[in-house]
Amino acid sequence: MSQPRSSYAVGTGLFIVLGFAALAYLATQTSSVANVHQGASYTVDAHFANIGQLKERAPVKIAGVRVGQVQSITLQPGQEVADVKLAIDKSYDKIPLDSVATIFTSGLLGDQYIGIQYGSSKKAVADGGTLALTKPAQQLEEMIGKFFGAGGTADNLGGTYAVKANFTNVGTLSVGAPVKMAGVPIGSVQSVVADPVKLDAEVTLAIDKRYNAIPDDSSAAVFTSGLIGSQYVAIQPGGSPDALKNGDEMVLTQSAMQLEDLIGKFLVNGSPSDKKDAGDGKSSDTPAPTGKH
Amino acid sequence: MNVRAPHSNNVVVQSLTQIGLCGLFLLTLLASVPRSFRYACETLRQLWFVGAMSLAIIMVCGLFIGMVLMLQLYNVLSIFGSTSASGMVVALAVYRELGPVVTALLFAGRAGTSITAEIGLMRATDQIDAMEMMAVDPIAYVATPRFLAGLIAMPLLCCVFCAMAIFGGHLVGVTWLGIDNGTFWSNMTAVVVVHTDIVNGVLFKSLVFGAVVSLIAVFQGFTTPPTSEGVAYATTRTVVASSIAILALDFVLTAFLM
Repeated sequence: MSQPRSSYAVGTGLFIVLGFAALAYLATQTSSVANVHQGASYTVDAHFANIGQLKERAPVKIAGVRVGQVQSITLQPGQEVADVKLAIDKSYDKIPLDSVATIFTSGLLGDQYIGIQYGSSKKAVADGGTLALTKPAQQLEEMIGKFFGAGGTADNLGGTYAVKANFTNVGTLSVGAPVKMAGVPIGSVQSVVADPVKLDAEVTLAIDKRYNAIPDDSSAAVFTSGLIGSQYVAIQPGGSPDALKNGDEMVLTQSAMQLEDLIGKFLVNGSPSDKKDAGDGKSSDTPAPTGKH
Repeated sequence: MNVRAPHSNNVVVQSLTQIGLCGLFLLTLLASVPRSFRYACETLRQLWFVGAMSLAIIMVCGLFIGMVLMLQLYNVLSIFGSTSASGMVVALAVYRELGPVVTALLFAGRAGTSITAEIGLMRATDQIDAMEMMAVDPIAYVATPRFLAGLIAMPLLCCVFCAMAIFGGHLVGVTWLGIDNGTFWSNMTAVVVVHTDIVNGVLFKSLVFGAVVSLIAVFQGFTTPPTSEGVAYATTRTVVASSIAILALDFVLTAFLM
């Protein structure tokens, strides 16, 4: 009786050992435990204006090499600043004090991590110290906005005044689109409504009060930022000594260019000319109508 | 201890009766755990039978699950150019769902059926009654050791299954399809968390499934009609009831653990 029992015992013992070995393997080799550094780590603070999608335990890298991880992410009390604590391996303790911590994205859609670029300071950041120089996460929307040049709108801190402009066609201009002069946002589109009498589009522009010396014979044009960007209103200053005031109407306007119109013109080479609004001759740097090709 | 289902023609009433009796049976089992400690050798023998003897099938199935999962994921993820994520997806899928569920289904087929058939035959050949005559508690001597053995064996089997699945995924992904070895492991270790994936996924789920499968198997064996046909039906019911219970519980557990 004891012979088979001992063979059971050996087999069962082997089974249990194998099971726990597999568990230990799963837990230590295939999970985040494998990333825990053996050596002790020290903590460094970094304050970011925007952390994007950064998560706790995200890697901290220097020159692409993992040196630690994000320990905690909290909001600074009373401030719109994220306080990120980085746990960095003790063996990398010579990070210059003026190094720059930047939130990067691995690939286009990958996870975010913190990259540290060395500064030139002789002093190293200590345990509990702060990396003062940081670059926040790049938001894709902001980047695209910058790229197409239509992302930013004026802050309108000083209040605005309203100016009307009538267009025969506003294209896809929407409320909130920026109003720019010399490429700089100075206001935004407040409303776009159809005029029931003149049968055109009446656009109200809210312009920052700081820009109160715009000549009243300036022209407004609906431009597109880039090929597929959003539309905005560009103001080209005129030469009149009188400035635009609240409630004034801009007489000289140029409507949105429709891609279909442009292509049609290009193909048919100088067929039906664009319906120009009054005084279009001023806008010399608008996309040139065809006939020159 | 005689647990017999009363006769009824209504399927709903029958199923409810079965569930209710099963619950009562579980209480009896748990109450007899202290008494079954004197039969620790029997528990060990059952552990060898349901655990160690199931290792071969669990390991082979785990290996192939990991291999086929990696093959499928590689093909799909290559559309998006992110084949390096496939190791991570294999690990998450196996730890959270496939490991516990497939192990439990295999366990029901491999160990559950033989427990039911063995106890059913004991009942059919009056061995259970003979034990009672000899003042041996059949619950403590027959049922509880098998229940405990299933409870212990399932998490261990599930760990072995998962490890083999990862190995199979590595075999296909890295050795055959040429995913970089470093990215395979680093992507995996970047997302797998011990608590949510391994403790909650692998260990907790498989512990619950082990309890459910061995409870159903032992219960069906004890309540089988003492005929050869009855034993056959009881064995079938073990597989059917276990499979349904595993899949339904899997959803409930996942919803709770998320």
